Formats: sequence, structure tokens, C-alpha cells
Amino acid sequence: MEIIANFSGGLGTVLQPQTLLYCFIGVFLGTFIGVLPGIGSMAAIAMILPLSFYLEPTVAIVMIAGVYYGAEYGGSIASILMNIPGTPSSSITCIDGYPMARQGRAGVALFITSIASFGGGIIGMIVMAVLSPGLAKLALQFGPAEYFSVIFLGLIAASAVSNGGALRGIAMVMAGLMLSTVGIDLTTGDLRFTLGVPELRDGVHLVIVAMGLFGVGELIASIKANQTGRGRQEIDYTKFYPTRREWRASFGPIWRGGLIGSFFGALPGTGQTVAAAVGYAVEKKVSKNKDQFGQGAVEGVAVPESANNSATQTAFIPTLTLGVPGSASMAMVIGALMIHGITPGPRILTEHPELFWGLVASFLVGNIMLLVLNIPLIGMWVRLLQIPYKLMYPAIIVLICIGVYSLNNNVFDIWMTLLFGIAGYLMRLYRFEPAPLLIGFVLGPMMEEQLRRALLLSRGDAMVFLERPISGGLLAVSALILAYGLWTTLRKSRAPKTAHSNNKTSSNTGASS
Amino acid sequence: MTLSLTRRALMALTSAAVFALPAGQALAEPGAWSDEPVRIVVTFPPGGTSDLVARLLAKHLDESFGQKAVVDNRPGAAGTVAADFVADQDADGTTLMIANNAPFTIAPTQFEELPYAPMNDFTHVAYIGASAPGLFVKPDSGITTVSEFVEAAKANSISYGSSGVGSISHILGEAVDASLHVETLHIPYQGSAPAIQDFRAGVLDTFYDMVAQNSDMIEDGEAVAIAIAASARFPGMPDVPTFKEQGFDIVIENWVGLTGPAGIDPEIAAKIHETTLAVLALPEVATTLNDLGITHQPLSTEAFTGFVGTQIDVWKPLITAAGVKGK
Repeated sequence: MEIIANFSGGLGTVLQPQTLLYCFIGVFLGTFIGVLPGIGSMAAIAMILPLSFYLEPTVAIVMIAGVYYGAEYGGSIASILMNIPGTPSSSITCIDGYPMARQGRAGVALFITSIASFGGGIIGMIVMAVLSPGLAKLALQFGPAEYFSVIFLGLIAASAVSNGGALRGIAMVMAGLMLSTVGIDLTTGDLRFTLGVPELRDGVHLVIVAMGLFGVGELIASIKANQTGRGRQEIDYTKFYPTRREWRASFGPIWRGGLIGSFFGALPGTGQTVAAAVGYAVEKKVSKNKDQFGQGAVEGVAVPESANNSATQTAFIPTLTLGVPGSASMAMVIGALMIHGITPGPRILTEHPELFWGLVASFLVGNIMLLVLNIPLIGMWVRLLQIPYKLMYPAIIVLICIGVYSLNNNVFDIWMTLLFGIAGYLMRLYRFEPAPLLIGFVLGPMMEEQLRRALLLSRGDAMVFLERPISGGLLAVSALILAYGLWTTLRKSRAPKTAHSNNKTSSNTGASS
Repeated sequence: MTLSLTRRALMALTSAAVFALPAGQALAEPGAWSDEPVRIVVTFPPGGTSDLVARLLAKHLDESFGQKAVVDNRPGAAGTVAADFVADQDADGTTLMIANNAPFTIAPTQFEELPYAPMNDFTHVAYIGASAPGLFVKPDSGITTVSEFVEAAKANSISYGSSGVGSISHILGEAVDASLHVETLHIPYQGSAPAIQDFRAGVLDTFYDMVAQNSDMIEDGEAVAIAIAASARFPGMPDVPTFKEQGFDIVIENWVGLTGPAGIDPEIAAKIHETTLAVLALPEVATTLNDLGITHQPLSTEAFTGFVGTQIDVWKPLITAAGVKGK
């Protein structure tokens, strides 16, 4: 029972006053940002990153993780009360959460959300604790070919399961890969695609792309969608406690959602949104209560919340054990660790056990904090949401500009962010998902480096990717996912168009936040 | 005020770096020079010598002198990404970098076009010390001497990992190839940490890296250092022979220093210099530097600047001979 010993060691780390305090700051800030529509955990992490430089690495990572899953929690509050997804992944929660609110069961929906998120988080935590050591051991054997194939699998998964269909997803991943080649070629030192602009020599910064596509792009889209402003409905959120039947109905979905979420969270390239969407679809198929879905079914709230929260925990598995970030947020986590001189990879468990197990244990502590925090604070979050958009959106834009400017103290970066914002809005208009683009952008440089290295070592023989068993296996799985994705896209385009999900502000998939 | 004017006049007189006397610096007391945290840019990802030195400095600048400092890794293109970045920053002493061979003595020869001028775009403030790289092989390869390595490399194709194109480990690898008349396969990485990870995973046959940093691997029996490219054996690891004593005249030493953008006020530069030397003199720091294989020598700012200037010419033939030039 080595895991239990390790876990209690991690718990000892987390229960120190300083770690507890920053864990609390993380989950609180995450919830706050999550409640606000338009910006997700990505923006929140970008804002607290400079603060983390001054903390012990374990404390820093516990805080960043808290922001990450706290935002998932907060996102669901706006979804349920106002039908506005605070984060892309909580858009699924709108489907049944908002109808519940209109039926006067908002308190119950929020309560179920808290319980489901907690349950999903704990399932994700257990999966991480159990799987990581084995994966790290396996990864010690990984060479460039294996790393390339893992990343390839992630990119295929990100594009194949995106909402717009596999072809659009692949197009977006390719656009992300192309964007990532801008700047100095790391193996030769040549300048690539800088168009003679000195600011582009270092490439485009991840925060600029992410803030532009998601932050600014989402804001422009919301302004258009919400010109009238949401009705300030009189929702009774004082009745919290679910009925016995509702308790029973949510138990199964929490389990299934947690496991589905764990899988998609751990797969690089997919994330909370895919997890929530797949979880919902599966639940709709297995539930005895099918016709209630979309009209305020308690299962429809429990599943996506459990799935997206467990996915936020398991997203740390590839990030820490392989050094392969599954999303833009995870890339920032790697950046934060690198600042502290810790290189994520298979050795992190043996070289920095206190960090790894401290993080795992912090999931338990942080989720309990969220549970305790959220129930009494719901009233405050609701008031926050009633701030008129004409005041809130300019404030968010200012925050984004400050965050981007502080990267390099360069105004050029702000213009770039606005440019990406417009691009993000156009992509939404034409139903192209920005999430696969971002994941291609994040994984592109790593993929290129490993590809070139693998080919150098094999003296140019591309068969090396198929001949090495792990690499070949990963590529075979990629081929299956790709085939499935194309098949469903094809089938959908032939079948008559059916009514899709019922909310228009949220077309994002993937590991955006 | 009068004091600083006099000092500036003195600096102007002795600017040719002839004076090794710490003329201006005698007036500076070690201590914090900025209210803002100082950014120490590192040319490689975390884990290498430059990175460890930067973190050591940052820690003790804060602990002993109350000067907050943050380490900022900006790897890529053999250190030129970091140097280019630093050259463009404000010369107020809040951005410094760990200067080393990569951007200052190798890149000027390696690249036809450099986005910065190694001397004119920088203030070379303080010399820290030098260490030497060596050749590492797998224990089960049976290779224990340079001669055996030559035999093995002639019999089979051998790959080696380096910290990047134009890095000191790459130059050493090419210098070894040229002087031993063998041909090995170069695989560049971004820094030594990922190269060592691949060496451990069995992807690479050999790698070149700073010897002292890898003492753990040697002790654990994970790697054998068959030669160090220093002029004499490193006192901390007397068991590792030099290339020289095995009959191959290969000496490549890696120096590190503290450098900022051009035009740092001489008064601030003197303060940084004195504070850095004071940090290096701390017993704890001296021990760590020794663990890193770095031999420290106190040089004045002028002497350090002169040293960087001559290094380009010292390395030029080495780099050209290694065939790294181009691109």
C-alpha cells in the first residue's frame, strides 16, 4: 500500500498553513473567474503566474491547480442560473441546469453540481494516484519516436472529437501547428515566417493566442449574443437539499461521468469539454429517464459536472509524468514548474515526490474547500453575474490587456491579442473550433523536435515510428480514432440536420481552458 | 554626486580594460541595486550549469543582500534567443543574464547574421568562473578510454547528444570527431537535461556534458566519464582523466559570467559586480560552485569585458574546424 503512504505524505505537505492558504486562494480565484462568462481558467492562470514565481514550487502548483478546477466549479454556476457557460466545458451543464433553475430547482441543481464535482474530482484524483507511477515507469523507456506518437495521438483525438466535425478539427490543428513554427528554429537557429517583424522572432506567445481566441473572441461573441442582457430572473436558490429520488438518480451518473472524465482528461489534446459532452451523450443512452434530458433532469447536471471535474485532475497525468501538456493551461503549468527548475517528466515522481503527492492530496483538500465554500457563497456569485455587461466586459478586456502587456512589456503583444480575438470571433461565426488550434499550437514545437530527432537517430528511416511497439501501438490507436471521427462526420453530413444543443454562446470544445 | 562624477571620469580613462585594478568598484558596497526584482535570464532550460548558477545567485542575492531576483529560462538557438532578448531590455540593472560561450563566443562565428553585437550591445559585468565538459558512455559499452572509444566509433555508428547546435557540448563533440578522425552522429537537444533523459532511456549511445554536474550518474553506475576537456583534472573528481593526458590535445572550457544590456550605469554596474563577488565568496556558494565543477576567479569588470572580447578569437578556429559554421 505504497500509494496510501505516499498520499498521506502528500497530505502532510498540503495541510501546512501556507499551502492551505494558497490552495484556498487558488480555488476561490478559480471559482470567481469561472463564474465570469468569457474568460476561463487559462486567463486566471496567466494572471497568477507571476505570483507563483515567489512561492515554493509545491505551493505554486497547488495554487495553480486550484484555479484550474475551481474555474470548472464556478463555470457551472453561471450555466445553471443564467444559461451562460462561464467556461466552455460547462456549456453542457446549461442543457439541464437552466431548465431546472426555471422550474425553481436552482438550489438543488447547484447542490448536485457541488456533489458531482466533488465526486468526479475524487475519482480523478484516485485515477491519477493509481496510474501515474506505472505510466512514469513506462515513460522511462520512451524515446523520441514514442513522444512523437503520444503527441500525434493527442492531436488526432483533439481534432476528431471536436464539435465541428473531424475535417474542421484537423484543419484547426494544422493551423495551430503552422502558427507554432513562427520564430527561431530551435535546432538550426534559422528564422522562420517572421515576416521581418522583430517581435515575431521569439514566436507567438501562448498567452497571446489563448487570450485572443478565447478571451477576446468569446467576449465579442457574447456582446453580440447578449445585447439585450439576460433577464434578471427571480430564481429561488434557497432550497438546496435534493429529494431522495434525486440523490438516487445522481449516484450512477457521478460514477460514470468521473470515469469518462478521467479518460478524456488524461488523453492529451482532449479535456473537460470533450469529457462533459461524451459523458452527457453516454448518460442519455444508458439512462432510464431519457425523455427528461434537456428538461431539467438531475442526471444531466450530475454527469457533465462530474466528468469535467475529474478531467481537470487527470489532465495532470501526462503533463507531469511525460512532460506533454494536454492543453494550453497545462502548458502554463509546465512553464511554472520550469521557472522553479523542475522539468516535468518520468523522473518527477522519484525526484520531486513531495510535489507530485502534495498536488494529488491537494485535490482532496481543494475539493472539500470548494464544497464548503460554494454553498454559502452562491448568493454572492449571483450578484456578481448581475453586474451589467457594459461594465463587466470592458473591465475584463482591460484585465486581459494588462496580462498580455506584462508578458514582455510590449504594446505589439496587445495588438496581436486583439487580432487573434477577431480571428477567434470569425472562427466561431463559421463554426470552426478554436480549441484544436490552440492544442496544435501548444504541442507543435515538441512534436517537431521529437520528429526530427527520431528521424536523425534512425538515419532518416520513417519506419521507426511503426517498428517500435509502443510508438506503433499509439499510431494504430490514432488511426482508429481518425477513422471513427471521419466516419461520424460523413454520417452526420448525410443525415438530415437535427436540432443541436440549445445554446449558441458556447461552441467550444476541447482542452481550451 | 561629486563622487560619482569622479568615478565616471576615472572609468573613461581606464575604459580600455588595461587596468585590472578594480578602480571604480572600490567605491561600491555590496547590496541591493534595485527595488524591483532582477530578472536573471538563462540561455538554456532548467537543469544546466548556467541555470544552477543563476538559481544560486538569485537565492543568495535575496537572502544575503535583500535583492529579489527571478530566474527566467529562455532557451533556443544556442543561447542567441536569450542574448537577443537581454540586449533589448532596459539597462537599469533589472535584467541580467548568465553569459556563457554559447551566445558570446560561439554564435558570433557560427552565425553569419546575429541580431546583437556581442560586445557593443552588452555590459559584461562580472566573471563567475569556468568548468569543463567531458565524454560520457554507457557502463555496459565496455569503453573506458578515449582510444577504446575511437575503436568503437570506427567499428559502429555511434550517436551523441548535445545541448544544442553550437553549444559547447556540440563543439566538443565535433572537435573530438575532427582530432580523433571518427564520424559520430550528432543529435541536438535543448539543454543537457533532455539529452541525459534520452541517454538513460537508451536512445543515445553517448553524450557530452559538464562533468561535475553528472557525478551522481557516475556514482550510480549509470554513465562513465572517459575524459574531461580541461587542462587539468578537476579537483572535485580526480578519477576522471583529461583528454590531454590520454594523448589528445582537446581543451574546451565553459565560462560563465553576469552580463546585462549595454549602457548600465557604471555606478549600478559596480554595485552589481561587488554584490556578485560577495555572493560568490559565501562559503555555501563556494561549495556549490565546486560541486558544479566551476573554478572561480575574481576578475574586474574591465578584465571580464576584455576576456569576453578575446574569447571570440580563441574559439573561432575551433568552431570553424568543427564545421559548425553556416546557417
